[in-house]
Amino acid sequence: MNLTDQVLAALFVYGLPVLFGAILICSLGIPFPISLLLVVAGSLVEQGEMKLWQVIAVASFAAILGDQIAYGLARWAGRRLVNRIGRKIGAEKKIKQAENFTKRWGGSGVFVSRWLVTALGPWVNLASGIAAYSWRRFLFWDVLGEVLWVALYVSIGYAFSNRVQAVRDILGNLTWVILGVIATVILGWQLFLRTQPAAKEG
Amino acid sequence: MKNPGWQRWVALIAFALVLSFTGFFAVRTVRRAIYWHYHQDEPIRPWMSLGYVAHSYSVPPWVLHKALGLPIRSDRRPIREIAREQNRSVEEVIAILQDAIVHVRPPYPPPGPPPPPDNEPTRGRSP
Repeated sequence: MNLTDQVLAALFVYGLPVLFGAILICSLGIPFPISLLLVVAGSLVEQGEMKLWQVIAVASFAAILGDQIAYGLARWAGRRLVNRIGRKIGAEKKIKQAENFTKRWGGSGVFVSRWLVTALGPWVNLASGIAAYSWRRFLFWDVLGEVLWVALYVSIGYAFSNRVQAVRDILGNLTWVILGVIATVILGWQLFLRTQPAAKEG
Repeated sequence: MKNPGWQRWVALIAFALVLSFTGFFAVRTVRRAIYWHYHQDEPIRPWMSLGYVAHSYSVPPWVLHKALGLPIRSDRRPIREIAREQNRSVEEVIAILQDAIVHVRPPYPPPGPPPPPDNEPTRGRSP
């Protein structure tokens, strides 16, 4: 059995503590198919083996706690490191630009990376901390995104409680389709804007 | 005619790449959905409990317990644990479960009422 199978097996036996630990570790950047764990937890809720409010509360708390630890570490230690390197190589202006970009797009970036592009979550935590993104805003978007993520996947597991592997398989691919469509629309719009002046000249 | 410039070419190539990426995953999603539509039964995995297997295959849990010679009560242990306890391989346990499932589904007659539960207290959905 691989690591995923072992954690899933432990979830059946020990329940909430396994869910808490796995999500916390995953939020700190260790890659793990945590979405499957939430779908299985949803299935266990439907079978009466776990309680819905407990699963949502524990999973959300673990995810938010992990994100806050990563953000705090990045802001405390990562920021100093970046400032020191920036001064040495004379990149203070670039760092300031990156900070401004994070302040402008940070909220939506944090929110989307919580529930849609979860693979980017740990990196956004670090980037937000290093760029000194407002902690209050980070916390707000983090709580909103994580609760949505947990509720969404647990609900899907509940609705398709007898087909967790199929759901996970299809959802894994569907996420990339949604992201691809968003990126295609953005790039298509950029291309359209670029062709506008030439069209006017013609 | 105005030279579109390298920036426009980069944007065009990026657009083509993203479009291909999206198309690839869209086709893959549809293929997986079709696959699962025609494969109603999920493969039994070592991490699954007997309760989940019974739920997934829509068979009474006691049928699986009986097939493995286990007491009729809630058992959250994964198949791997049960296999280890019974000195069997996981594949062997899965084969026993699959055989039991086949024999309670049509064209075989339904399994009938569950046997009386064991004396120990029960938990969960098991009878």
